[in-house]
Amino acid sequence: MSEKKPLLEIQDIYTQFFTESGVVEALDGVSFDVTAGEPVGIVGESGCGKTVTGHSILRILPKNGKTIKGKIIYKGINLLNLTHNQMRSIRGKEIAMIFQDPMTSLNPIFRVDDQMTEVISLHRKVNKKEALDIAIEMLESVGLSDAEKRIHDYPHQFSGGMRQRILIARALALQPSLLIADEPTTALDVTIQAQVLEIIKEMQKKLGLAMMLITHNLGVVAEITKRVHIFYGGRVVESGPTEDVFINPQHPYTRALFDSIPSIEKDKTRLETIPGNVPRLINPPKGCRFHPRCKYATEICSRERPEDVWLGPKRRVACHHYEELDLDVDEETMRERVKIKEEV
Amino acid sequence: MASSVFEEYETIDLFASWDSKKQPVIQLNNLKKWFPVSQQSLLFSKVISNIKAVDGVQLFINKGETLGLVGESGCGKSTTARVTVKLEEPTEGSVYFKGVDIFQPMTKEEELVIKRQLQMVFQDPYSSLNPRKMVLDIIKEPFDIHFPDMLYEEKESRVLEILAKVGLEDYHALRYPHEFSGGQRQRIGIARALAIHPEVVLLDEPVSALDVSVQAQILNLLHDLQKELNLTFMFIAHDLSVIKHVSDRVAVMYLGKIMELSPTGDLFRKTAHPYTVSLLSAIPRPDPRIKMDRILLEGDVPSPIDPPPGCPFNPRCWKAQEICSQKSPTLDEIRPNHYCACFFPEI
Ligand SMILES: Nc1ncnc2c1ncn2[C@@H]1O[C@H](COP(=O)(O)OP(=O)(O)OP(=O)(O)O)[C@@H](O)[C@H]1O
Ligand SMILES: Nc1ncnc2c1ncn2[C@@H]1O[C@H](COP(=O)(O)OP(=O)(O)OP(=O)(O)O)[C@@H](O)[C@H]1O
Ligand code: SF4
Ligand code: SF4
Ligand SMILES: [Mg+2]
Ligand SMILES: [Mg+2]
Repeated sequence: MSEKKPLLEIQDIYTQFFTESGVVEALDGVSFDVTAGEPVGIVGESGCGKTVTGHSILRILPKNGKTIKGKIIYKGINLLNLTHNQMRSIRGKEIAMIFQDPMTSLNPIFRVDDQMTEVISLHRKVNKKEALDIAIEMLESVGLSDAEKRIHDYPHQFSGGMRQRILIARALALQPSLLIADEPTTALDVTIQAQVLEIIKEMQKKLGLAMMLITHNLGVVAEITKRVHIFYGGRVVESGPTEDVFINPQHPYTRALFDSIPSIEKDKTRLETIPGNVPRLINPPKGCRFHPRCKYATEICSRERPEDVWLGPKRRVACHHYEELDLDVDEETMRERVKIKEEV
Repeated sequence: MASSVFEEYETIDLFASWDSKKQPVIQLNNLKKWFPVSQQSLLFSKVISNIKAVDGVQLFINKGETLGLVGESGCGKSTTARVTVKLEEPTEGSVYFKGVDIFQPMTKEEELVIKRQLQMVFQDPYSSLNPRKMVLDIIKEPFDIHFPDMLYEEKESRVLEILAKVGLEDYHALRYPHEFSGGQRQRIGIARALAIHPEVVLLDEPVSALDVSVQAQILNLLHDLQKELNLTFMFIAHDLSVIKHVSDRVAVMYLGKIMELSPTGDLFRKTAHPYTVSLLSAIPRPDPRIKMDRILLEGDVPSPIDPPPGCPFNPRCWKAQEICSQKSPTLDEIRPNHYCACFFPEI
């Protein structure tokens, strides 16, 4: 594999769920890539398809769900063509996932050592004793004090932050090339979130890990990732280097999203709002899925799906009118803005 | 001063001696709420310890302001709110509402007057509305309780009036909660609390469960309604950005106690309490160019069953000295209107 080729390339995938009330068009032509060693953010509001993306990659969709189109190329191989057995050797060992709900991801009836050594000895050629040593070492590296003793405890004997560290340790014990972390800190308090983010940052750097960080928290994305993909209604609406997307957002949705969050830095009495709600994905809006809520929408937006427009090698936006919006702020103003923020 | 809207239904005036210019609307004095933990044996159960959910809260709220109450999970925010609106009895201490001790012996009528004027909006827009009731009946219920003599037509027209105020349509009145999105359900919860013209509304994490684009709609709505209806808010949240946005003053809570209480600007710019400092530094900022000098706290919040002696923050505090584990710091005024419970505040 050459250095330049992405580790993971998602090419135009469509994932759907077949339910009694209709077909849920959860992922509708999603494309993005992840380079080896790179932390990438997947951002968007509830129901926009973040988790389904992770599940599609690992092919762990429920029975009523299926990726019906597209390619998921990992290290040059299309995962969608692999047999179940081949897929099993990808999960955990090549691509590990930390699931959204930390409570359900650890089995309450088994001790932590059993839950960790089981996966380790399954995927790595080590005996029981070696597996236990690896587990303890991993727990220590995520900052679990007294790991040697505490590894024999049950999950409920740990706090939420500790359990999340254990999950990170377990995922990393298999030395995967790619970690998909689905809202790893959402359930945690802010001081504990800070601890866990620190661990994630440290491990990512130390292991040179590629990471897909799924979150709706824009602060977490800004802090951890170098590149970001903004999701809306099952599509990627904007992508680019995190800094550029945050400082110079191009898509009306990205813009509105940033304006609608209250900020610690700025004093403002009124927030910008996006009218309406996030769309349901059974019979979603035609054309641009954001059009019923977009203040720039015109007739074409409700008719035609906007194509990706590439603004640079890693910078793209999917909007019919992005050029006409008065979004381009010059460098000078930009620097000004950031400086003001930092001073306050 | 009886509330004029309901004068014909509500005749007693409990608050004649209250001076809204000089006295706070709400005053919590050394408020404690402990939940006993008991051990069951065959014949009897005995209390072996207490969960000290609220452990000596000192707080006041002025008329017309928004007091933000912030703190991490389990620090006692909801319990404080529930005692303040008289949903629960305190273990110790008192709650004064417009100069009246709300836990003193009183008649049923007096209690109703107090409960009408103290309303609460609950955190979870999914479980806090009765799924079997139409929106009309959900919002009408407080009228049935407080004004049983009011004509049905008047109740109905008042329900429609408040629905319009929270941005819903007439036809929504005949729908059931499951037919609404999270944001709309939160609007219904707000409508129910505001329909009977309370004086004070305690908002318990009203936007925590919502998407950010919808959160902004609700925050703006609350702001408008507060101005229009002249309401006093206590706004509970764990998100400091939200707290900063909505509050005139902020109270920071930790392990059942108030650590810092000050005007919003001072709390963020002249932060005095080490815990507040660490909270502020822990927030990931949505700007990749801001690099935080972060204070990483060791360990977790201790259990409220056996809180540490002295200052509750001492096991995690980087400034702690010997005295911090021996004596409890009191909430002192360190500069005008800025209160802090610490032996070594940052100034
Ligand atoms: N098993 C399923 N059956 C039917 N629809 C589903 C199923 N799983 C997910 N969906 C739908 O697919 C869409 C995307 O869901 P997904 O879980 O990926 O959202 P998300 O972005 O992870 O949201 P959140 O931030 O709430 O976790 C949603 O509209 C959801 O309702
Ligand atoms: N009815 C009860 N019986 C026993 N313990 C309780 C009860 N209600 C609350 N507690 C405990 O009291 C403490 C404070 O709870 P409270 O719900 O007030 O916290 P909170 O600050 O609102 O937290 P959150 O941010 O998670 O909502 C917690 O430890 C909780 O488990
Ligand atoms: S394509 Fe049209 S509706 Fe969609 S974001 Fe752009 S302007 Fe708005
Ligand atoms: S009283 Fe002591 S332990 Fe408590 S916050 Fe102040 S310095 Fe820290
Ligand atoms: Mg999800
Ligand atoms: Mg609570």
